[in-house]
Amino acid sequence: MAQDAVGAVGARANPQIDSLIRAAQNGDHGAFEQLVRAYDQSVLGLAMNLLRSPEDARDVYQEAFLRVYRNLHAFRFDCGFHTWLYRIVTNICLDQLRKRKVRKEEPAVVETAEGPLDRMDSFEEEAARANPERSMWNQQLRKRIEGALGDLTPRERMVFELRHYQGLRLRNIGEMLGTTEEAAKNCLFRATRKMRSELGDFL
Amino acid sequence: MSCEWVAKRIPLYCYGELPAEEEERLEEHLDGCAACGREMERQRKLAAALDRRSVETPPMLLEECRADLMAAIEGGASLGVRRPAAQGSWALFLEAVMAAFAGVNRFRRPVGAVALVALGFFAARFTGSNPGGSVVAPSEGVFAAVRSVRADDPNRVEIALDETRRKVVTGRMDDPNIQRLLLAATHQDNPAVRVESVDLLKGRAGVGEVRDALLDALAHDSNAGVRQKALEGLKPLSGDPTVRRILEQALTMDDNPAVRIEAVDLLMAQRDDSMVGVLQGMVQTENNDYVRLKVEKALKDMNASIGTF
Repeated sequence: MAQDAVGAVGARANPQIDSLIRAAQNGDHGAFEQLVRAYDQSVLGLAMNLLRSPEDARDVYQEAFLRVYRNLHAFRFDCGFHTWLYRIVTNICLDQLRKRKVRKEEPAVVETAEGPLDRMDSFEEEAARANPERSMWNQQLRKRIEGALGDLTPRERMVFELRHYQGLRLRNIGEMLGTTEEAAKNCLFRATRKMRSELGDFL
Repeated sequence: MSCEWVAKRIPLYCYGELPAEEEERLEEHLDGCAACGREMERQRKLAAALDRRSVETPPMLLEECRADLMAAIEGGASLGVRRPAAQGSWALFLEAVMAAFAGVNRFRRPVGAVALVALGFFAARFTGSNPGGSVVAPSEGVFAAVRSVRADDPNRVEIALDETRRKVVTGRMDDPNIQRLLLAATHQDNPAVRVESVDLLKGRAGVGEVRDALLDALAHDSNAGVRQKALEGLKPLSGDPTVRRILEQALTMDDNPAVRIEAVDLLMAQRDDSMVGVLQGMVQTENNDYVRLKVEKALKDMNASIGTF
């Protein structure tokens, strides 16, 4: 399970970040850029892992930070900046997931000029050389995993992404999604239960 | 403690999200129950399989995103120069205007492109040594933006510039071309133009494109007047889930109390228990007394508690 680098800056009091925010609110572009750089890697990582498309991840990045740019003056330090930012990011990502649901799109296979980026691809390549039978099994497992993740509701998918891949705490996730820790817990429980039932014979 | 109790907590246990006391009880149970031990093993296998699925961000993507963002903010990135239109039809004019806006919603194109609304757009190249040649200097009523200046030799200079020409069009509100221009105008730099366009469009929120433009204005426009006009237009659609989501966002994030008040009213026009958590959160964070009172009243109307426990 990945531990998010911004977990540390997700804490409420971070004087360095606070002073960057204040400077940016006073029109300091350099401070805004530094603020973006403190968080943008994790925002892009979240969007990439969730949407599995560099193009869509790029759109999420642009829209999220432009919204931050436009609304930063309204940030009142009544929650952590990380939470505030992730409220914006998760809203945009949820939109994308909902649109995909409506269009019934399959999750994208991540291909780039340098080749596939999916860790499971490189894992499979190695496995195929060592044990073709095992490789076939892995390919089927992968398809089932994609199917299982695709069957989650956008909100379940988001809670699962934030907890499993981004390593955020459920309390924090609830705050980001405008809900309670209890609701986030239930969402995570439903997501894992659905996935386990979908992947039953593989586990 | 039953196996069912344990099964419900296994995922949370694996993510370290169980209270210490429950964690202890669960571990005690696991020591003596093989079936729950197998459940735990399956959960771990699921986590391991999912771990292998995570993707790496392409190395250049982050840098590209940063560059795009800064260009969008500064509005300084170059826009693809369009050639003068050979035909003067509505279609070509609109094509030029709409092309200038094609990227605005996606924030791909520089914000500077917004300046092209309702103006024909031409590119020209001037060379100082042939004043009587085929090129013409910018005339009155033409706005020019110099893109580059280059000295070829000591007596000759090449200036690349974009020209924009004003054009007046009139038409009825139900004319699709007028509607498209108004939609484009909702992204204009001038807030007065945006207020006017959103005001004119708000009666046509039933049209998908108009609804999207109103939602976009409510979510993104920097001017509170424009956002309020958009809210007025969205009134009849307050039951639509997408509209409700943007309203919820306006309620929690908009810096203008009048917008937040209007957003509460629209959201509460119909009972929606899923709003309780958001409203309870707002009671804690809302710094405007009137908005907070509205939110508290909405919670009372739903028989929900004001505080979170």
